[in-house]
Amino acid sequence: MHQAIATVPKASGTVEARRAELFEEQKQNIIQHTDWIFARLMPLQWIGGIIVALFVSPRTWAGTESQIHPHIWAAVLLGGAITSLPVFLTLNQPGKALTRHTVAIGQMLMSALLIHLTGGRIETHFHVFGSLAILAFYRDWRVLMSATTVVYIDHLARGYFWPQSVYGVLAAPVWRSLEHAAWVIFEVAFLVISIRKSQSEMFSVAARQAELEALNANIEGVVEERTAELIRENAERRQAEQRLKKSQAQLAQAQQIAHVGSWEWDIVADSVTWSDETGRLYGQRSEDLGSPMAKCFQRVHPEDAVWARSIMEEAMRNLKPFECEHRVVTPGGIERVIHSRGEIVADARGRAIRMIGTAQDITAAKRAAEALRQSDEKLRQSQKMEAVGRLAGGVAHDFNNLLTVITGYSDLLLRELSEANPLREDAEQIQHAAARAAALTRQLLAFSRKQVLQPRVLELNGVVANMGAMLRRLIGEDIELRTSFDSLLGQVKADQGQIEQVILNLAVNARDAMLHGGKLTIQTANVYLDQKSVARNRELEVGEYVMLAISDTGVGMSEEIQAHLFEPFFSTKGVGKGTGLGLATCYGIVCQSGGDIRVYSEPGTGSTFKIYLPRLLTSSAEISTPKASGELPRGQESVLMVEDDSSVRKLAASLLRSCGYQIQEAVDAIEALAIIDRHGAFDLVITDVIMPQMSGKELYSKIMQRAPGARVLFMSGYTDDALAHHGVLDEGLHFLEKPFSPARLAQKVRTVLDNTAGE
Amino acid sequence: MARYEHTAGATGRTPQNWPTDSTVALDHFHATLLMFAHPKCPCTRASLEELNRLLTHCQGQVTTHILFFTPEDAATDWTQTGLWQSARAIPGLRVEADLGGRQAARFGAETSGYVVLYDPRGELLFHGGVTAARGHAGDNTGETAIAALLGARQAETERTPVFGCTLQNPERASQFGVEACIKP
Repeated sequence: MHQAIATVPKASGTVEARRAELFEEQKQNIIQHTDWIFARLMPLQWIGGIIVALFVSPRTWAGTESQIHPHIWAAVLLGGAITSLPVFLTLNQPGKALTRHTVAIGQMLMSALLIHLTGGRIETHFHVFGSLAILAFYRDWRVLMSATTVVYIDHLARGYFWPQSVYGVLAAPVWRSLEHAAWVIFEVAFLVISIRKSQSEMFSVAARQAELEALNANIEGVVEERTAELIRENAERRQAEQRLKKSQAQLAQAQQIAHVGSWEWDIVADSVTWSDETGRLYGQRSEDLGSPMAKCFQRVHPEDAVWARSIMEEAMRNLKPFECEHRVVTPGGIERVIHSRGEIVADARGRAIRMIGTAQDITAAKRAAEALRQSDEKLRQSQKMEAVGRLAGGVAHDFNNLLTVITGYSDLLLRELSEANPLREDAEQIQHAAARAAALTRQLLAFSRKQVLQPRVLELNGVVANMGAMLRRLIGEDIELRTSFDSLLGQVKADQGQIEQVILNLAVNARDAMLHGGKLTIQTANVYLDQKSVARNRELEVGEYVMLAISDTGVGMSEEIQAHLFEPFFSTKGVGKGTGLGLATCYGIVCQSGGDIRVYSEPGTGSTFKIYLPRLLTSSAEISTPKASGELPRGQESVLMVEDDSSVRKLAASLLRSCGYQIQEAVDAIEALAIIDRHGAFDLVITDVIMPQMSGKELYSKIMQRAPGARVLFMSGYTDDALAHHGVLDEGLHFLEKPFSPARLAQKVRTVLDNTAGE
Repeated sequence: MARYEHTAGATGRTPQNWPTDSTVALDHFHATLLMFAHPKCPCTRASLEELNRLLTHCQGQVTTHILFFTPEDAATDWTQTGLWQSARAIPGLRVEADLGGRQAARFGAETSGYVVLYDPRGELLFHGGVTAARGHAGDNTGETAIAALLGARQAETERTPVFGCTLQNPERASQFGVEACIKP
């Protein structure tokens, strides 16, 4: 039944067509439903008729004999005949007019059968009226007409031809037939009225349904159209979102790679937003997005915050782009240098409402630039030192030869003059001037690190103690000298003379800084330099050091002065009061000794120079002690003197001859080798280092080839690294620095001859 | 089935005067009506209903007996059927057993539902059935005639066909010279 409704095709025409279609659908639905009722009712009636027959008239009798009553057969056969066709049609062709008319006729015949089976009981006649009412379920007045016609024809025909079977009389008037039919028509008339009314209501319902469907169809059309639009819009939005996400990801990646972030400040709402990279650079958390600008400025380095803010404020006033460099400090303590750019967005009235900008991490570039600057500075300093060193070396070589001659002859002259001789003072002035010139030359070589160091194992406490008397004379009575020695002070390996030179230079500077007196304190201590204390001035390896600190209570120095303090020819003492080489010399000596010198000073609070020298971790018995001067040591060994400067050669040869030695002279290495080949080995060969044609070092090699173990003493005012590696004399070589005094020469010669293992 | 329903049953010779050897007493003050019935005949229920309706209309005008055929060798409950009980429920109706169908034979009744009506003097007024067809209640000529006779009116007929089962077995019926009505 319901399946039949679904199979009714929908009209695609007007509302009226749809209304008719719905009406037909409903009518067909009711008809089929009524068919369904009769398909079950009629078999039940049939069975009921059989039961009635079995109950009321099971058997017919003749005296004591009986047989099955004909009613039984009638109920079974006639009932079956009446029922079968309508039931067949209702089951196989529901909804058709033929079916329901057959049902109507069958139902009326069934009424007749039941009436007969019940002996014509008046009660059974109600079956006729009940059947008509049920047939009215079809809501088809024609069905009632069929049923009525059957009833009427039955009564009319039997009343005419067989009145006794209907009215119980042999001759019945016509009106009796009409009367019987009239009662049926009476009911049918009202049923027809009811059917018409019901159909009218069905029609109205169909009309409303059609209108509703039309309205729904219209709404559904609008909904479908809008839904399609929404789907298309959503698809486009999703695609746009995906493109945006991809673009954002690429932007974020690009920002991460370039270390460039972006930010935006809603000035009106005071809300700052930023990209991931900007957040990372500033150490901002994503939860802080939308923070006010003042909070963001908390990340800016305090020293940069004020002027960075002023730049931004000026840009807002002028509505012009800006850029600035500032430092930021993240919550984790990481300091970065940021290059910020920004542009202002103004409203129609020219008020700044938004600021959009970028933040670039230039920390690495800044560090690289600083490193480059320092490297350039070092290079410049190195080139400067190299130039000075070349100048100093060139000057020193010849100058020291001259000074050697001057010093030597003046020393010899003094040795010949008695104390009362008036020429003695003149000779002493010559010697004094030569000594100052030699010191000046030594300083030139020292700050340019071209001097030859002869490191020994030293105990600085002893070195300083031995200098005590000299230092007190040097600093004067207004300045108090204090010493503080670490009794467990470690040993260092350094050139004693050079260290003494450093102490003297620092003491002189301290004295000059304390024009109105004060305290000069010399302190020694063992110190351990860890990573943090390294690289104040130059890099030192982490480890154990011996510190020598010289402090004064003088005027102190500004940072600017400290920055140039160790540069050569830098002086604050004014013209004629200093050479500008003192601290440069100190710095050169200390650095050449593997140490460092650092200064701590503030204006008005004095200065402290701390010298760090690597501490010898194994103690050595080879302690250099100052040697007292005295009579010239003498000898009788054979000595070959090789010197291209004839004045120096003659002076030295003359001096050594006066000490008893057997001297042969050679003007250069070639001649020297010829003499050796001709004469044989000498007990000692004294040779200059820098000579034309063949250097002293080459001569040394050739001598060693001829006589391994021969003693050779080099003498030079400037070696140009011929003998020394980074200024430190090569192991096993003997060296006498020019200018030298006769005593120094005699002592050195004697020492070399006496100590085959070298000094 | 139409033939079955509308084929009248057999009737014997009904005496014009009340038989003197009848065990049923004649009412000398009112008319006397006898109905002969087979206790198991389903058609007779319609006749009994018509009799009931007739007695309702003619109350006090007639003395009525219903005589149920009872075989000689029948068990005591053979007659005690629903029809017997229905008859006993009708007021004024005297229910009696007709052992061996002797009374029926005296009054010429061979078909169940057969009715005879005698006046107080013992003269036959009517005999026949009170249904229009076998087992069918409703208006019929016999009932109309009896009602008219009891009302001292002119009846359309004094004799009607009777529809019902045969009172006697076929062999007995032939003995009495009647034809069985149980042919289908």
